[in-house]
Amino acid sequence: MRTKHLFAFLGITPVLMALLGPCAQAQFEPRDKRFYDRAVWNFALRDHLPELDIEFNGVDFGHSNLYENLLLTGAKSIPAIEEEARMQTLRFIASRPILPPNEEAIAPTYMKLAWRAQNVFDEAHALHRATYDIYVSDTITDKDAALREALAFYQRSPYAITAGPLDHRRLDQFPYSQAFRRKFPLFNATIWAYHYLQVAVYDVLQEAPDLDSKRKVVQPILATYHGYLDQPPVQWSFMPLTAELSPKFAARYAEIANIFDNLHMLHDNISDILVSDLFPTREAKRAEIYRIIDSYYLAGADPVNPMIMRRSEQSPPTHAH
Amino acid sequence: MRLFPVLFLGMLIWLSAQPVSALDHDNLDKNRPLRIEDAYPIAKGEIALEGGTQFSDRRQGRTRVAFQPQILFGAFYNTQLEIGGDLFTEPTAIGGAEKSGDLHVGVLYNFNTETLSLPALAVKLDLEFPTGVRSRGVDGTLAGLLTRSFGRWRTHLNAEYSVIGSARGEERNGLYRLAVGVSYPLGYPMRFRETLIADVFTRQSELSGGRNPTGIEIGLRHQFSSRIVLDGGIGTEFAGPADRSAVFGTVGLSIGY
Repeated sequence: MRTKHLFAFLGITPVLMALLGPCAQAQFEPRDKRFYDRAVWNFALRDHLPELDIEFNGVDFGHSNLYENLLLTGAKSIPAIEEEARMQTLRFIASRPILPPNEEAIAPTYMKLAWRAQNVFDEAHALHRATYDIYVSDTITDKDAALREALAFYQRSPYAITAGPLDHRRLDQFPYSQAFRRKFPLFNATIWAYHYLQVAVYDVLQEAPDLDSKRKVVQPILATYHGYLDQPPVQWSFMPLTAELSPKFAARYAEIANIFDNLHMLHDNISDILVSDLFPTREAKRAEIYRIIDSYYLAGADPVNPMIMRRSEQSPPTHAH
Repeated sequence: MRLFPVLFLGMLIWLSAQPVSALDHDNLDKNRPLRIEDAYPIAKGEIALEGGTQFSDRRQGRTRVAFQPQILFGAFYNTQLEIGGDLFTEPTAIGGAEKSGDLHVGVLYNFNTETLSLPALAVKLDLEFPTGVRSRGVDGTLAGLLTRSFGRWRTHLNAEYSVIGSARGEERNGLYRLAVGVSYPLGYPMRFRETLIADVFTRQSELSGGRNPTGIEIGLRHQFSSRIVLDGGIGTEFAGPADRSAVFGTVGLSIGY
């Protein structure tokens, strides 16, 4: 009987290994999900400023829905992206979701294609959420210390984006760069509108002294954002940058601002890769997404990252938004 | 034996006053509300408190009610530790290896996330310590878990084998269980708060020579708030021994911290 038990126990593991089988080396990838930084500011935005939190829940839908639709359609159909997928996104935003959507349910194909990229996004989005929560939380008196704690937690992740100033112009000049915005200008401008909202609120939230005034100061930004959703700003030539829209926040927390700008640049790069015919297969798209993440975006690549600008190379942002 | 439910209740009261984070209602854990679970652990650093009440209306014998408290902890990347223990009504009348008040300790390790060519795979080791009523011997279970998605449908396979530490009389000293299930997020593209789950299962009877209890169950997980997921399920064993369940059901909740 003992022999039978041993065979039964040992049998499960070989079956699992056999299932991993020939593809194991090609696409074996750890899941590596990490929980939020457990802190007193968690959910302050949802509890105290739900009108803004609801908009961010809507934004969460947009990128995943775009990537899934680009993959499923092969980025061949302009109406499928510019009309159907974009309108799905706008309807979801208009539904005023009180909880974030499950992005794995929105984009199951994309998640299987590039899970590591999603982990990079998830960690950076959690930092975004933490910063809003800190600004809105009325129990945090030392916001500066709290922001630095949130940054330190973020940077302990192996999926953390570099806090260095990346050269976004060069990152926007790959052979496939700008493919998405040229082919799908409406959806691209909608994505940039999300990024506008995500970074434009920092300075006003930082300066407003109490919750009532925070509620008031975000209203014009929300109105502008919804104006952009109605009339996507296709005239913009580059994504919104934190230093343009929240210059005080960017000056005080340069590392956090860099992370957010780099995150948004990575979103643009991935959109371009998913659209470009230079990568005709899903495997080729995955390989290029992972190449740029490993080479240019992850903080672990900082010592050899050629895209990090030295101080002399940096110039103030000049794009009109 | 009575220490665990007291500790669990204490934890629940303490944690309800703490800041908490959102729970992933698509992540399927055993008994919440069905026996099928996916190949994914909770996130590193997450603590989840789970509990539920299950009734089983048997074709022979009295209806049995069980309370199923459980604590999960994402101890490391891709690794989930579990501690729990089921409490049954009429604890002295229960046959087989599972006893009311037994302490259950387990670890789930996920090898990989699902990719275009590979399903997600995990292995789980459970130990049941004889802290319960009329319980003897340590039972051990090794399980293989697999999750593969097709569009938004996710399919799950659970195969496990248990070694019973101190079988008595006609009881088997080793038995297998199999479950195959699907889950689907309801409401896309407008709503993401409910997941539908269904499975079919079979397990070797606890007595040598007995027929396998075999059944089907269906359930729902609902994201009630950022902090709480509610669940409910119902099922039947359509084949098996004479005292199999005619109908069983579960309601429960999970709280993530």
